[in-house]
Amino acid sequence: MHDLLQRFLSLPWDQAPQWLFLIPALLMLLASAAAVMLRNLIHCALCLTLSFIALGVLFIALGAEFVGFVQLLVYVGAVTMLILFAILLTPASEVAASNNPFRSFNLSKAVNAVTGGAVALLVLCGLLAAIFFSPHARAAVNPAQAAVAPAKAIGENLLSHTLLPLQGTAILLTAALIGAALLAKEERPS
Amino acid sequence: MNLPGSGIIKGMVVTARNMIGSYFDRAHAKRLITEQYPEERPQLVETSRSFPFLVFDGDPEAGIRCVACKICEKECPPQCIYIVQDRDANGKLVRRPKVFDIDISVCMGCQICVEVCPFESIRMDNIYEVSSYSRFGQLLLHKEQLLKSNAYYNEIHPTEAAATDARIEAARVKKAAAAKAAAEKAAAAKAAAAAKAAQEPPQPEQNA
Amino acid sequence: MNFSDLIQRIPGIIKSPETVPVEGKKLIVDCVAWLGSAVGITLPEWVLTLVSILIVIVTIIAVFMVMFALMSVFERKIIARIQNRYGPNRVGPCGLFQPVADGIKMLTKEDIVPRGADKIVHFLAPIAMVAPALVLPVILPYGRGMVPIELATGILFFFAMGAGTELAVFMAGWSSNNKYSVMGAMRAIAQMISYELPLVMSAVVVALVAGTLSPNGIVEAQAGYNLGFIPKWFVLTPWGFVACLLFYLGALAESNRSPFDLPEGESELVAGHLTEYSGFKYAIFFMAEYVGMFAINGLLVTLFLGGYQSPLPFLEWIPSWCWFFAKLACVAFSMVWVRATLPRFRIDQMMQFAWKFMLPMSFAALIAAATWHYAGRGPAAWGLSALIVGIPYLVLGRLCFTRHHTADNRTYLFSE
Repeated sequence: MHDLLQRFLSLPWDQAPQWLFLIPALLMLLASAAAVMLRNLIHCALCLTLSFIALGVLFIALGAEFVGFVQLLVYVGAVTMLILFAILLTPASEVAASNNPFRSFNLSKAVNAVTGGAVALLVLCGLLAAIFFSPHARAAVNPAQAAVAPAKAIGENLLSHTLLPLQGTAILLTAALIGAALLAKEERPS
Repeated sequence: MNLPGSGIIKGMVVTARNMIGSYFDRAHAKRLITEQYPEERPQLVETSRSFPFLVFDGDPEAGIRCVACKICEKECPPQCIYIVQDRDANGKLVRRPKVFDIDISVCMGCQICVEVCPFESIRMDNIYEVSSYSRFGQLLLHKEQLLKSNAYYNEIHPTEAAATDARIEAARVKKAAAAKAAAEKAAAAKAAAAAKAAQEPPQPEQNA
Repeated sequence: MNFSDLIQRIPGIIKSPETVPVEGKKLIVDCVAWLGSAVGITLPEWVLTLVSILIVIVTIIAVFMVMFALMSVFERKIIARIQNRYGPNRVGPCGLFQPVADGIKMLTKEDIVPRGADKIVHFLAPIAMVAPALVLPVILPYGRGMVPIELATGILFFFAMGAGTELAVFMAGWSSNNKYSVMGAMRAIAQMISYELPLVMSAVVVALVAGTLSPNGIVEAQAGYNLGFIPKWFVLTPWGFVACLLFYLGALAESNRSPFDLPEGESELVAGHLTEYSGFKYAIFFMAEYVGMFAINGLLVTLFLGGYQSPLPFLEWIPSWCWFFAKLACVAFSMVWVRATLPRFRIDQMMQFAWKFMLPMSFAALIAAATWHYAGRGPAAWGLSALIVGIPYLVLGRLCFTRHHTADNRTYLFSE
């Protein structure tokens, strides 16, 4: 733990790559926090979109431009639209948010909040532990040696090494599409 | 065989032909019929009318046809005409208007004043560029602005003007003929009286 | 270096029009460095890099703004000529200063925000629309060696930025607190997402044959001439022609242009998602749409029309950037022509067209392109790929677009 902190502090903070990581990372954290805490559901969805964009920027900063652009294309373009449509088409968004900060103190709600917070904290600690104690965090990272994945390499990999998962994903998506079409089809009165 | 999409291509050929033709062949197919106002003025038809005007023959002062009978003032539906009859040096009324105002912001162009005028003196003009910046200054037309010559009337409404002139001419001829006939009759009566007086020999002193 | 060296470089630049932009930019950067040294400071490296980048940014924005202004007036004049009337011809010579008048009008209009509107989102929507649109033209190769940013995955970047536009449309529609705006925004998004698929598939077809996602690489893959005088552009191949057509239709739909302008047609839901925008915000949306249109036309030129290459061998003395903008102008003119000719689609017709016709045709083009490439690019390959593309075209055309003349026995309720 101590040496990780040491390494964190001894990073060259006057150079670009640190800030290139820090700014999108902070943006993502803020946007995600806002997405959870805002009242208006559409504002939450838009903050979530902001966190997706920040994640895309992080991918690009790490040198994985293909994944970064695909993140922007798929998440910001399609998944965000999906979330927004879902919010608009369900009645839950019609509920007006109450702005009264001095709500009456409710014991069961407080207990729920504390329990939820504890579980979230536990999950976060578990994830952080998994990251810190993994071999990748311990290895010395040399930026010059970091594997850059050009689109060509990704394509060749997809179609040779990971062909079976690719086809499995395709079948899964087709099934989802057929299911969606079936669900959305109108009943014919017969 | 009708390829899908061939209709679109045909449509686009038509529009392209229209576009290119508009540069070279303006007369065909009624292309570019926009009138570029104010460089080109619109061609008004003969019967177009907007606001009334007063007709004079020859001289604006002496040849004015209006006799200030005030029939048009009475008959005007929105009452936009204001007439004051003129008086001569002695204060006696003469058959001439001193003030003849038409408020063209009120006038609706119904032509009733024209129809009822017995002296063929008020007619419809076809002016359309009468905008002004003030409603009460320039939109109240006075006698001097309303007086336009018969020659102008012939220009803007040739058929009507010809008919009016013919009517006036006929009336004048008839009047002249009647006057001549009356003069002849008077002369004949006078001659007859003179002849009668000359026929009877003088017997003036018989009744003493 | 000193001043005389810099001055001596100028005639060399002007002599060869091909390299004017690149050498000019280098000259300006060197002038800035010399100015710094003349004042006494040696400018550090990052300042010169910044100056170089700023020159590119300013040039792109200036060029596209001028093109936007000219396009707005030429579009109106061309549509007018097609419709048997003059376009705007009062403001400047032949009405060329009309964009200035339009700009002044837009800037001086009152900016009305509806009372119930979501102020932050309403304010951010034009920004979210114009920012990706201005970034789009940065990967296009405008001439030999004249790519502002050389990206190996340039095509993917282009479509990723295009996705931001859809988000902005939704934000604009929803934040106006107007149910017609929301409906208009929903339709606009449905249209944009539906047409994005054939668009991306057409670009993928080109990437397949060229073997690279980099726009420069794709332009270079179209170099050379068949039979000595027919250029090897992808549009002149059977699969390329179909892919170009699909890309063109997708470009029309993505820019919300006629005949796909259901979201913003004047007689449709007022102005759709733009109903509650006035003044400068509307001008920004307008500008974003046009800049996006130019960018996607530029991509069409890059992918299919050979980018900056000249069509005939003996015309190669014309500089490459001139060819790029000439081709861009032709594509833009054709878009105006299509707008003036075709009536608007209905929303269900639009969706059917995208999913039932364009998507299968794009797959057919993909298979045809692969066939053409692997059959050796010879005459047999051409014939086979033409067949693979032509048969689905005829079949789908018959299936989707013939009207079924069914003889129903209609019952008229109120006739005697």
